[in-house]
Amino acid sequence: MNRPMELDIWGGDWGLPSIDLHCLEVMAYAKFSAVPLQTHVTNNPFCTPNGSLPVFKHGKKKINGFSEIAAYLREKNFSADFGLTPKQCAESVAFSHLLSERLHPALQYVWWVDRKNYLELSRPWYAKSLPFPYNYYYPGRYERDAKKIMETLYEVCWDDPVVETGVHAEAEKCLTALSIRLGEEEFFFGSHPSTLDATVYAYLAPLLKAPFLNAALQNHLKACSNLVRFVVRISQRYFASTLQEYEAHKTSQQKPKEDSENYFPNKRRNQFLAALVATVAMTGYAFSTGLIEVSSKEEVKMEDELDEQIDESVFDHSSNEGE
Amino acid sequence: MPSVLLTESLAVELGAREPWPVDVKLFQPYDVEQILLPDNANCLAVQAYLKMCGLHFQIENRSNAEFMSPSGRVPFIKCGAFVVSELDPIIAFVGTKGVSLTNDLDNTQKADMRAYMSLINTVLVNAELYVTWCDPTTLNEVTKPRYGSVFPWPLNHIQCWQKRTQVLKKLSILGWAQKSLDEVYSEIESCCNALSQRLEDQKYFFGDRPTELDGLVFGHLFTILTTPLPNNRFAGIVRGYSNLIELCKTVERMYFDRSVPEPST
Repeated sequence: MNRPMELDIWGGDWGLPSIDLHCLEVMAYAKFSAVPLQTHVTNNPFCTPNGSLPVFKHGKKKINGFSEIAAYLREKNFSADFGLTPKQCAESVAFSHLLSERLHPALQYVWWVDRKNYLELSRPWYAKSLPFPYNYYYPGRYERDAKKIMETLYEVCWDDPVVETGVHAEAEKCLTALSIRLGEEEFFFGSHPSTLDATVYAYLAPLLKAPFLNAALQNHLKACSNLVRFVVRISQRYFASTLQEYEAHKTSQQKPKEDSENYFPNKRRNQFLAALVATVAMTGYAFSTGLIEVSSKEEVKMEDELDEQIDESVFDHSSNEGE
Repeated sequence: MPSVLLTESLAVELGAREPWPVDVKLFQPYDVEQILLPDNANCLAVQAYLKMCGLHFQIENRSNAEFMSPSGRVPFIKCGAFVVSELDPIIAFVGTKGVSLTNDLDNTQKADMRAYMSLINTVLVNAELYVTWCDPTTLNEVTKPRYGSVFPWPLNHIQCWQKRTQVLKKLSILGWAQKSLDEVYSEIESCCNALSQRLEDQKYFFGDRPTELDGLVFGHLFTILTTPLPNNRFAGIVRGYSNLIELCKTVERMYFDRSVPEPST
């Protein structure tokens, strides 16, 4: 089989190759096991088998989901876990379940349920990335899904303060456990990255890099300095090109950003145009409804003047009648 | 879960000075005719944990234990002024009394233990719920008659339906409801495999002394092994791991031998 292995993914930002947990997990795993993988940023989960990204394609085969993809790659003799003992594999399974039980709800909360983050970060990001009709549908759907998760897990309404405290407490415990487990090692099992490293990286990298407005959990992660170093290490070693591109992009963008302070380049012109349009519209309206009658008054005045002239000159009575 | 944080903080503030009272009661459904596989596993895990700590308690069977519990899940303990439900909060609560099984462990081991407990909570618990509420044979032959046994006629169907909707909702957001029975069995297989690899041929998971992980594993595996179900593949998978069976036997011998016919008042 010489056909290329392909992966459809969500796009990246903030120096990450993808901002989506599951895409990132597969991409990191592929890097660690040296799979020659071509990635395509589609940003469109509509035409996929399960309605979610990433989609792995190899020839006619299309696979969804990390464990299935990892199993398929293992069949093809690509795996990041060949050097692990059975006990380490068991530990890797256990820790990945720890992440999915404790950290996953928290990430869903931070991305979609938290009002500030949702309105200012996640919804705009996804709405901008998705192609036209879908951008009206998917952000709202993800928000509803996340709220449903909160309501089912905590059995109270999603905006109850209990949910937020509960979710954060669980996630913080989980981060602390990970931080202790990693210690000062380079990767979780020695000097080579494994499946667990891919999973942990996928969970932590977006949480660390995304510019959240409500950053309680992000700050907790930043306090675990060895986890931060771990994320940076993997980003630098395995996704160096994305990181460099982003850095270059950022420095080149910084200058114009400073003077306009916003993302709108022609702010002044737009403001002027808007004011002009508004004025024209309002004046037009005023004219049409008869609030202002400039021209007709002038005509009236002129008529009056004419009348007066005529009155003065010819008809003395009529001017008295008009008054 | 709301009760978790509340009880944690309250217990720290108020309960710390009080010793373990004598009249602690553990409430659970009737284990012969009513209790279901997942509930039974949780109750047994808590019992095992308390026994491992050497704390005295009395089991109270109530048909409405589920509705008495502050979190809506069984079992729960009543200790003085406190009502605490489920294993994790109970461990935290017992910890405030100065009793803990993990004092000898270092931080890495504690992190490890937390991870394996998560593994059981995500895989075994959901698999138990799936088999109990989603597998049509088990649902009709075991779950419905047992769960409805304590309610009069129209109510037994309504309660069953309500509980099933609730469980299905939970399983579907966790991605379990879409799985087939075979996928569920393979999940159980990989979970048991991981546990077995971790245990190797030690007596308990962390050397010679039991921890809450041992209690949790015992609660689930022992229940799976001893609960008669129409489809017995679940127990069959567990039986394939001899060291896990050995662990169950050890815990049963050490902590449950004399107290199996616990009198319920």
